[in-house]
Amino acid sequence: MIELFNESSLLALIIFPLIGVVLLMLIPSQYQDVIKYSSLTISSVVSLISLLVYFSFDHSIQGYQFLYTYSWLDIPGAWGDGAGAISLDLGIDGIAALMVLLTGIVMFTGTIVSWSIKEDLKDFFILYFLLLSGVFGVFVSLDMFFFFFFYELSVLPMYLLIGKWGSSSKFPTFARTKEYSAMKLTLVLVAGSVLIWVAIIAIFIQSNLGTFNILEIEEVISENLSTNFQKIAVPLLMIGVGILAGLWPFHTWSPDGHVSAPSGVSMVHAGVLMKLGAFGIIRIGMFLLPEGAQFWMPLLIVLGAVIVIYGAISAMGQTDFKYVIGYSSVSHMGYVLMGIATLHYLGLTGAVLQMFSHGVMTALFFAVVGMIYERTHTRDSLVLQGLAKKMTVTTILFGIAGLTSLGLPGLSGFVAELLIFMGIFQSYGFGGIILGSFAVVGAAITAIYILRLIAKAFFGPVSSEWEDLTDSNLRERFAASILVFTILLIGLWPYPFVEVIKHGVGPILSGIVGAI
Amino acid sequence: MDLFLVNNLIWMLPLICVFAFLIIALFSQYIPTQGAIVSIGSIGIAFLIFIFVLIDFVNGGLLPIHSSFTWIDLGEWQISWGLLIDRISIVMIGLITFVAFLVQIYSVGYMKGDSRFGWYFAVHSLFAAAMLLLVLSDNLLLLYFAWELVGLGSYLLIGFWYEKKSAAEAAKKAFVTTRIGDVGLLIGIIILFKASGTFDISSIIHVAQEGGISNDVIFWSSLLIFLGAMGKSAQFPLHVWLPDAMEGPTPVSALIHAATMVAAGIYLVGRMFPLFELGPGILTIISIVGIVTFILAGAIALVMTDIKRVLAYSTISHLGLMMLSLGSFGAPAAFFHLVIHGFSKALLFLGAGSVMHGMHDQTEVELMGGLRKKMPITSITFLIGTLSLAGIVPLSGFFSKDEILISIWEYNPWFFPVTLFGVFLSSLYMIRLYCLIFLSSARSDYSEKAHESPRIMTYPLIILSVLAVFSGLLAFPSPITEWQGFAAFIDDHHKFHMVPWITAVSIVVAFSGAFLGWVIYGARKIEITAISKPFKFIYQLVSRKFLFDEIYSWIATKIVFTFARWLTVFDRVIVNDTGIDGVGNSTKKSADRLKYFQSGYLYNYSLVMVIGLFLMAIIWWVIE
Repeated sequence: MIELFNESSLLALIIFPLIGVVLLMLIPSQYQDVIKYSSLTISSVVSLISLLVYFSFDHSIQGYQFLYTYSWLDIPGAWGDGAGAISLDLGIDGIAALMVLLTGIVMFTGTIVSWSIKEDLKDFFILYFLLLSGVFGVFVSLDMFFFFFFYELSVLPMYLLIGKWGSSSKFPTFARTKEYSAMKLTLVLVAGSVLIWVAIIAIFIQSNLGTFNILEIEEVISENLSTNFQKIAVPLLMIGVGILAGLWPFHTWSPDGHVSAPSGVSMVHAGVLMKLGAFGIIRIGMFLLPEGAQFWMPLLIVLGAVIVIYGAISAMGQTDFKYVIGYSSVSHMGYVLMGIATLHYLGLTGAVLQMFSHGVMTALFFAVVGMIYERTHTRDSLVLQGLAKKMTVTTILFGIAGLTSLGLPGLSGFVAELLIFMGIFQSYGFGGIILGSFAVVGAAITAIYILRLIAKAFFGPVSSEWEDLTDSNLRERFAASILVFTILLIGLWPYPFVEVIKHGVGPILSGIVGAI
Repeated sequence: MDLFLVNNLIWMLPLICVFAFLIIALFSQYIPTQGAIVSIGSIGIAFLIFIFVLIDFVNGGLLPIHSSFTWIDLGEWQISWGLLIDRISIVMIGLITFVAFLVQIYSVGYMKGDSRFGWYFAVHSLFAAAMLLLVLSDNLLLLYFAWELVGLGSYLLIGFWYEKKSAAEAAKKAFVTTRIGDVGLLIGIIILFKASGTFDISSIIHVAQEGGISNDVIFWSSLLIFLGAMGKSAQFPLHVWLPDAMEGPTPVSALIHAATMVAAGIYLVGRMFPLFELGPGILTIISIVGIVTFILAGAIALVMTDIKRVLAYSTISHLGLMMLSLGSFGAPAAFFHLVIHGFSKALLFLGAGSVMHGMHDQTEVELMGGLRKKMPITSITFLIGTLSLAGIVPLSGFFSKDEILISIWEYNPWFFPVTLFGVFLSSLYMIRLYCLIFLSSARSDYSEKAHESPRIMTYPLIILSVLAVFSGLLAFPSPITEWQGFAAFIDDHHKFHMVPWITAVSIVVAFSGAFLGWVIYGARKIEITAISKPFKFIYQLVSRKFLFDEIYSWIATKIVFTFARWLTVFDRVIVNDTGIDGVGNSTKKSADRLKYFQSGYLYNYSLVMVIGLFLMAIIWWVIE
């Protein structure tokens, strides 16, 4: 039984959501309750598997675990060691294990939050599970072909999810239709995919092994992947996946996407989808192209600092809840990029922890904003006032998310950001001190826009418009409390999480000459 | 694991308050008194633990008690959490648990009938936990951890009545202003970590004293850490949040914004003092910030007419005095004043709360007057607090102030006359406040109908006033025990001593300030407008608080938020509409043009073919 679990659990993470897709297709759409409960069941099962995978992951054993291989296609031609093949290779290290856990948590809570969707719930969940199957696939693939395959699988359903279930907004100065946001998101991300695909094929050809397997290619880096090649391939990859992580100036798809997407999709979008970008940089960029990564990282850390400050100040200028959080997400992903770019043990560990922390935090943010939007039908902080009186629990939940975002100790954001700050200060000499100071200032700017939002929308007298608002219901509180629990757990006792991350970070940095 | 082993027991100090917070926050409605009893009980137990630890500490020959565990383990880099009981922290714990206990009991009366009674006590417990953790922590990171959490407690309690717009704004202002200082603090801590490889305070100081950290690094990190202390202890120019923080319930002002949290900056500087004295010029900077704060805040306190704001500016002023003392190598004197000021100011704020309770929450002193008869206990205890803070002999404030004056004379003689002026101001505005509230006759309906507060509120006043009278005696060495005086307790090198002429000058200055105050506001022998008229400009400047609020809000709205809006537009119009959409649109446009190449007419295609053939022929001809 244990053996079966070890061999097939990662496959199950990809297959089970797909089974869910088929299952939901068979249920007639008028049976709303059946759809709700079966989607919840599928979600629970997948999340449970992700939880089991995480907790049975043994960080004391070196190397990738839960390995699974299925040979899919032979590639004709003469390659280094004989025949070439594309195979579905799955396996996780500490970093991927944490990301799998994150996806499980966000998927489960996102499902609960999405229950309140009235229109075409069945189709929504079909696309939702398709998306998550892709996300799991990216995190567990050890084969670049399938990495890309699942990457695309996780991007494309977003187009329909936003375009159909999203909401258009009209702002004083401009309008943002959901169709526009969906279109922009898809096109920008697909443009990034093209660059990734070029980089992947280039690595495939250069390594001359006839395989897309990351572990096998890693062994021939010094022989087949020359320094010059790496220097050319890294920017392609970094921009390609970086777009998904909100790399400036290609970030604008993200806030617009958030504003238009329904809350469940926003949760997945900011919670896990943006992490795919950072994960791609670590998994392929740093692991397979260490010298190229080392060459380009100084640029990335500067870009990261720009994103942190730029995102934070942009968030300060916004009044719509989702725009504020959208830009805040961009700003926080800047910390991840900075942490990665330190090439430092502390910084990279912090970056991975920040990916997890930000995923949970931002899911909580969008869940809460969804609760407010469903009741007030507005997200404008200029219109909302005094919600704390009527929606006390919701306010507390938003407060917790906000405090995590501004890096309050005791909550997850602080630990992650602290490690990143320490990493930045330790690397790049005096420049590191300057960049690190910018990063710390970014956290202070976050305090300004978050507290301003809270003071405007939640505090103050209740206006007559919101006299008969109801507080969040039990279902919503249940979803939120899972996220809050996770935030507190990392914030107070990060030790076990850091142990798992170390498992993945160590081998990656040992491949890079000069990294600490 | 033995719970009663003192190393484990000290963890219970913050933990028990955390538990109280959780219990009240989650189950407030199921507990009698909405959880107040849990909160008071937990802080009471914390006080008992303090006594237990104190006995153990004294029996152990005042050797530090230490306990730690690894929080994050990253191979070369270890981040641990550790608690440390030493001479400084034991004093702070005693002050915090005792004042918090009294304030919470008092709050039961003061907050009676409030719709969020339970939540109030929950946050009080959270604050107590964070404050205890702050003074107990043995490393800078844990200190920062607790430092931010006390900020959260302060934020939640200032904004306790969040329906009031002003309270919500004040809470935000307090958090953001202290956060500006905290940016410096965190950067300073990480720079020190980079230089020494540890967060542990005693290790850092040890490395620095051995010469392991360069002077530049010590200077900048000390300066940045001091910035954090300035924010928390409301030193100029980061003081603006503290007067606004008076929007919170008055007991909160007594505990957080007078006795404990605002003293955290003093504590931090005192804790890091061995490092600061190695940094060239750091102590001078601290002294200058301290004395500027001491004088300017004292001047503002003289013209404020809101009872709580007078006390708030007085707190800022006295925190400045403590900073000045620290900058003059007077750390023991600063801690002594911290404790005594803590008792006296808590007493005064609770007294002010009692006055407001009797006056239907009026805070304007112009509406008061003549309360001496109607509120006898409040009046007497308030007078004791006033005299103590004014430094009138023989109340406790006199002794701590005297020790500070000695340090200043010995190390910073240039500042001595200015400090005396500050002492004069301090006794003047305190007596003014007392006279305006309690003497002469009632000036409004509210003060006509004022009544004494219930016993649950007056008993804490009485206990605190006893301390305000007698705690000054701690300064003296005891003839029968080994007690060598408070200064020697904090630092063995400081022996108790007095300089007779300084004592005499201090007595004269304090008395003359008090006398002048009584002549103007009590006996009304001198008309106040007669004094303020010739100095109209200065009076205007001081009563508008040196325009700090105006300048800051101008910077915030005109520069920061304008820039933010400008950047938002830039992001929309330039980056998105021109950049991202532009790429899309130009693709579309070029496709529009290029589509004519595929006209479908055969003669178009053959024309292109012919041109192509010719071109190829020419190229071939050129190359050959």
